[in-house]
Amino acid sequence: MANIVQMLADGLIFSCIIVLGAIGLSLIYSIADFANFAHGDLMTVGAFGGLVGATEFAKLLPGDSIVFFELPISLYFGLLFGMAAAAAVTLVTERLIYRPLKDAGSIELLITSIGIALAYRAIIQLSFGADQERYEIASQGRIDWFFEATQSLGGIALTQRDFVILVVTILLVVGLHTLLQYTTLGRKMRATADNPSLARVSGIRTREVVLAMWIIGGALAAAGGVFLGIDTLVRPRMGFDLLLVVFAAVILGGIGSVYGAMLGGLVIGMAHELTPAIPFVPVEYAPAVAFALMIIILLVRPQGIMGEAT
Amino acid sequence: MGVVVVVGLSILVSLFIFELSFIVPTYAVAGMWILLALGLNVQWGYAGLINFSVAAFWGIGMYSVALLSAPGSPLGFEFNPGVALVAAIVVSALTALIIGIPTLRLRADYLAIASIGFAEIIRELVSNERELTAGTQGVSIPALLPELATSLDAVFAPDAPAFPYRGLVDFLLVAITVFVVYLFLRRLHISPWGRVLRTIRSDEDLAKALGKNTYWLKMQAFVLGSVLMAIAGFFYAYQFRFVLPETLEPINTFYVWVAVILGGTGSNRGAILGGLTLVAVRVFPSFFINFLALDVNVGAVRLLIVGLLIIGIVRFRPQGILPPRSELIWPAARDGGEKQ
Repeated sequence: MANIVQMLADGLIFSCIIVLGAIGLSLIYSIADFANFAHGDLMTVGAFGGLVGATEFAKLLPGDSIVFFELPISLYFGLLFGMAAAAAVTLVTERLIYRPLKDAGSIELLITSIGIALAYRAIIQLSFGADQERYEIASQGRIDWFFEATQSLGGIALTQRDFVILVVTILLVVGLHTLLQYTTLGRKMRATADNPSLARVSGIRTREVVLAMWIIGGALAAAGGVFLGIDTLVRPRMGFDLLLVVFAAVILGGIGSVYGAMLGGLVIGMAHELTPAIPFVPVEYAPAVAFALMIIILLVRPQGIMGEAT
Repeated sequence: MGVVVVVGLSILVSLFIFELSFIVPTYAVAGMWILLALGLNVQWGYAGLINFSVAAFWGIGMYSVALLSAPGSPLGFEFNPGVALVAAIVVSALTALIIGIPTLRLRADYLAIASIGFAEIIRELVSNERELTAGTQGVSIPALLPELATSLDAVFAPDAPAFPYRGLVDFLLVAITVFVVYLFLRRLHISPWGRVLRTIRSDEDLAKALGKNTYWLKMQAFVLGSVLMAIAGFFYAYQFRFVLPETLEPINTFYVWVAVILGGTGSNRGAILGGLTLVAVRVFPSFFINFLALDVNVGAVRLLIVGLLIIGIVRFRPQGILPPRSELIWPAARDGGEKQ
C-alpha cells in the first residue's frame, strides 16, 4: 500500500514532464496535421538550452547564493532561456523546412520530421559532446514535514525540486488554459485546430496561429526537457527516448485535444511509474509497458478518450 | 541490367581508391544494407506501409544466428547456419504476422507509431532477457563456412596469410542472395500481385471496390519484406561476428529509410543504389575525419548527414534518384498515396 502511494506520487512528477511534451505534440498533430517525430528532440534542445542558460546566468549573478526551494535562481533563468531557445529553434525550423513543404502530405512531413530530429540530435552532440551532463544542483533529501504529514498513507518521499516541477507545470498548464479560453488568440487557435478551412474563410490568419502554436509547443516541450534534466540527467538521447511515451499520451488523450493531452500524460506517466506494481513485469520494462498501452489504445480507441478534434 | 553495370562500376572505381582487404568486406556490408532496403521497398514502396520496425526484424535475423548457432550462445545449441537461416525466416514471418494482424488496419501515421513501439518492445526484451540473449554483453559468432574461406585463400593467395580474401565468402554469399532477391522482386513487381499492391498504395478504396482483400495483400507484403530484413540480419551476424542489442536501435531503421527514399520509393534499382550510398555515408565521414585529423564525433557527423539527407530528399527530390519506370498503371499511382 505504502509502496503504491509513493509510486503514484513519483508518477505524478513524471506525468508533468509527459504532459508538457504531449501538449505541443498534440497541437502540432492537429493544426499542422502530421506526427512530429522531432518533438522529443525538441525537448532535448530545451534541456541543453536550459543548461547553457543556467551556466551563463550563474556567471552573471554574484556567487549564485539566491536559492528558491533548494534550486539556484540561475536554474530558473535557465528554464526561461531554454524555453525561449526551443521556441526560436521551432520558428527557424518552420521557416526553413516546413513552410517550403506546405503542399506536402502528412506522410512526407512525418518523414521530414525524422530528418529534423536526427539533425537536432547531431548538432547537440557536435556542440556538447555525446556524453551526459547534469544541472548544477545539490542532491536533495525528502521533505520531512511532508513525509510526516502523509504518515497515515505510509509516508510520501518527495524532494523540493519535485514540488517545483509540479508547481511550474501547473502554472504553465493553467496559463495555457487561460490563453485558450479567454483570449482572442486562444479562440483562433481552437478554431484552427477544429477546422482549418473554416477558420481561414472566417478571416482568421491561420498562418499566425500556426506560428503561435509552434512557439507554445516548443516552449512547453523545452520546460518538459529541463524538468527531465533536473529529474535525471541531460543526455542527447533523452528526448527521443521519451518521444514514444509522449506519443502514447497524445493518442490516449485524443489528437488535437489539449485537455486530452493533459489527461493522457497523467495516465501514461502513472502507468510508467506503476510498472513495478504489475506482477511478473520487471521494472526495466517501464517504457515497454507505456508502448504496449499505446498500441492497445491505437487498436481499441484510436480517437482517444477525449475524442479527436478534427 | 543497368544495375549490374552501376554496381560493377562502383566496385571498379573503389578498386582504385581503396585496398582490396577493405573493399571486399565493405561491399559485403553494402549487400546486407541493400537486402534491408529491398525488404523495406516491398513494404513502403510497393504497399505503402510505413514500417518503423526494420531494426527489429534485422535483429531477429542476427539473433537467430547468435542464439542458435554460435558457441557462445546462452542457449547452447550450436546448430549449423542453415538451421539459423530457417529459424530467422520462420521467426520473422511469425513476428510480422503477430505485429501485422492488429496494426495493418491502422491509419498510415498510426502504423508508423505502433510499429516503432513494437520495435522498441522487442529491443527491450533482447537487452533485458539476459538468460536468453546475453543482454548487453552481446554474443560472438564464428565465421560462416570457414572451410570455404581456407580453400579460396589456397587458390587465390597461396603465399599470403589468410588476409587478402577476408570477407570474400561473406561477399559472395550476399552478392548471390541480392542477385536472386532482385530478380525475384523485379518479377514480382510486374506481376498481377505487384500491380494490385501499387493500386492499394495509391487508392486503397479503389482496390477494395475491385474486390481485392487489401488487408491480406498488405499482410503478404509486410511478411515478405520482414523476412528479407531477417535474412539481412543473418548476414550481418556473420559479417560483424558479434551482435549487441544496440544494433536494434531505431536509428538503424531510419538508415534503411534513407536508402529507400534516396534511391526512389518503389524502385528496386533505387534500393540497390540507396544501399550503396548508405555505406558511403557510413564509411566516408570517418575516412575524412581521420584524413584531416579533425576532432569531431564521427557518429554525430553521420547522424547530421542522414538527417539533412532525409530533409533534402523530401524537399528537392521526393521521387528519389532512380524512381520506378513508367508502368502499366495510371500516372498518379507512381507518386504514391499522397492525396489522402
